Amino acid sequence: MKILFTIIPFVSSLVSFIFALFVFKRYLARRRPHLLLWGIGMVMYGIGGFCEGYYGAFGWNPLIFRLWYLFGAMLVAAWLGQGTAYLLVRRKWAHILMALLGVASLYGAFQMFGAQLDPAAMGSSLHTGSELSGKAIVSGGVRTLTPFFNLYGTILLVGGAAYSAWIFWRKRILLHRVIGNVLIATGALLPAFGGSFSRLGISGALYITELLGAILLFVGFLQATTPVAPNDQESPGRNPSS
Amino acid sequence: MTEPKKPPQIRRSYPAVYEKLIPLALGLIAIATIIAILFALAVALRLLPGIVP
Repeated sequence: MKILFTIIPFVSSLVSFIFALFVFKRYLARRRPHLLLWGIGMVMYGIGGFCEGYYGAFGWNPLIFRLWYLFGAMLVAAWLGQGTAYLLVRRKWAHILMALLGVASLYGAFQMFGAQLDPAAMGSSLHTGSELSGKAIVSGGVRTLTPFFNLYGTILLVGGAAYSAWIFWRKRILLHRVIGNVLIATGALLPAFGGSFSRLGISGALYITELLGAILLFVGFLQATTPVAPNDQESPGRNPSS
Repeated sequence: MTEPKKPPQIRRSYPAVYEKLIPLALGLIAIATIIAILFALAVALRLLPGIVP
């Protein structure tokens, strides 16, 4: 179980931080806001994984729990999704959404760091007690925020990637971007399902899906952003149709 | 009198395996996304007994 509750989250964290470095490097070269937000989102993903691994290795720590819940459970999907918003919606609307997300994130942080915690509550629920769980938050008003952040993020990140893949597929161009976006959408969905499985009492599902999600997001990003030779870019084959 | 012959239209295509796999993958992603959203909404609205946000 040490592998499941300690090593896997630490590996997720490592993959996420390496991915974030790639994204920030690309941001420095291109200065596109979606890259900055994806980089920040992957740092949050990495913090979440680190906190899970820390809990598995060393046990309860209130600061680690608060950081995990804020970045790993509440904000990560929304900030990644906000990056996609900058790609797909008009800049003016993306700025408005960004401002709303910024205010909501500050409010969430304020609520989280003021919340009362009870680690014993994690073991008295469907959760196994070996995984970190929001059940440890005793104060009201914190956990009710989380689904709204996650819905926003999932719809934008998964929907945006699937929509991009669909557009390229319809035009039969840029196959590498189609594949990359399919991988990104799948990678973003996995932790959402992992969280649902965790709520249903399936132990370890969250940490495994987080690792697979981080890997798929990383591979999808690399695939989508890797330049291909002009001859390969448009289409490997052309079929005459009557 | 015959109409001038139209040049054959060219339709781009991906390799056959991708032509089949990509719509399948996108369909699965769409279904999975709807399930994930419905589950999250059900949890947020406390519609599932024993499962709270």
